[in-house]
Amino acid sequence: MIKLLKSEFRKTRRRYVFITAILITAFGLVWSLHGRYNEIALRFGWMSFLYQLPLTNAIFMPLLSIIVSSRLCDIEHKGMMLKQLAVVTDKGKIYDAKLIYGLGMVVICCLINWFVTIAFGCIIGFYGDVPIRLYLLYLLFTVVPTIAVYIFQHTLSLLFRNQALAFFAGITGTFCGLFSMFLPQLPWLRRLFIWGYYGALQFVGLFGWTKEARYENAYFEVMGFDWLSFGVLIAAAILMYIIGRSLFCRKEV
Amino acid sequence: MILKLLKAERMKLKRSPVWGAFLIMPVIPALLGTVNYMGNIEILQSEWYSLWTQHTLFTCYFFLPIMLGVYCAYIMRIEHNNHNWNKLLTLPVNKASIFVSKLLTASMMILISEVWICVLFIISGKLAGITAALPYRSIMIWCLFGTLGGTVTAAVQLMLSIFIRSFALPVGIAFAGGLSGLVFLAKGFGHIWPYSLMAYGMNSNAPQQIIESGYAAFAVVCVLYIAVFTAAGSAVMSRKDF
Repeated sequence: MIKLLKSEFRKTRRRYVFITAILITAFGLVWSLHGRYNEIALRFGWMSFLYQLPLTNAIFMPLLSIIVSSRLCDIEHKGMMLKQLAVVTDKGKIYDAKLIYGLGMVVICCLINWFVTIAFGCIIGFYGDVPIRLYLLYLLFTVVPTIAVYIFQHTLSLLFRNQALAFFAGITGTFCGLFSMFLPQLPWLRRLFIWGYYGALQFVGLFGWTKEARYENAYFEVMGFDWLSFGVLIAAAILMYIIGRSLFCRKEV
Repeated sequence: MILKLLKAERMKLKRSPVWGAFLIMPVIPALLGTVNYMGNIEILQSEWYSLWTQHTLFTCYFFLPIMLGVYCAYIMRIEHNNHNWNKLLTLPVNKASIFVSKLLTASMMILISEVWICVLFIISGKLAGITAALPYRSIMIWCLFGTLGGTVTAAVQLMLSIFIRSFALPVGIAFAGGLSGLVFLAKGFGHIWPYSLMAYGMNSNAPQQIIESGYAAFAVVCVLYIAVFTAAGSAVMSRKDF
């Protein structure tokens, strides 16, 4: 496995895959953190980030997964590389090595996102200490849906030579996930798609906000943690991994 | 000649997954946008106009630019694969015609999507029980100017996809472009930024306001951009060593 991971590293040298991932993360951070921070924003800072960031994550993290997985898997489709690889090693190991390598990049990007968010809050002067327990949970609830989405994208990108298919499936899913976050009246919708779990696992709510008074009487509060959804998501990720790996092993390369 | 090239492009796209995607994609915002409209009917009181924003807001900024990126990358990928550029560029046809034929194919796809978005919009409005008269003229304007603005984005993306052999990178750029389009539109430069033009043409943000500002300048900007990017794309195609 170490040899396969090393070969993945060599294959992607000077292909700027990781730099592309970092750029997408940086773009997402600029998008999320940009804004005017007045007295109210500084007072609500830490909690308002926990309320708002799942939305931008629901857009940027699936996109990051689509692009990284497609770039890593497309290398093999060009020049029939899968056939050559399958001669020297087990197909399941190829699937695993590429998955670990891609997931590594995506998880590093999630961690960078998390660190920069906290550092930004400290630098700009959010009131109070960092609610580290809540932020650790936020990290967990960002990384796990991203892993599930990545496994799905990785499987599609490896199974189909035509990368447009993986892109379309991913974008459609992202669309469903994003829209489901705007429909709180249909909470089951978020749990229907793996892309919706950024919203399903969101644990901070905004209360008391009105169009007239705005944040005058508003407050953020922890609504509780949906561990059942978290469990369902992990089960879905494991199932996708098993099905995807088995489909790839059976595929005629 | 251009008709023959268009026919060739159509044949290349036969049974391609992009057709299915362009049909399926608009159904999602139509369904969810309508549900959201019905859930917030006391705030969204402009009937057809409010429903239109619900249908197109995210589509214009996030998803249509990405879809266009995928579509243009796909059109160019066919040529990047198996040294097809060598075959294509040795044909006795003008290089600009090749680019134009690809751009026309892309804009035809955008037009089909726009029409499909409008059909879904009308059906959704009827199902949601909107009683006001259907703004036919506005819908036609949104549809046509959305296509014009989308063609500018397609021209940029096609040019990028000539440079970049990777499939994913131009799509990433299209995504960033779509987001930048939102920023430019918010800052009041939506009518001059290539990636804002589609959302601007479709009036996805505030339909009533933008209609009043008129479309002549918008059309001129779009045509200029299309001409510039077509010339640049054709020049790159002629000089680049594939």
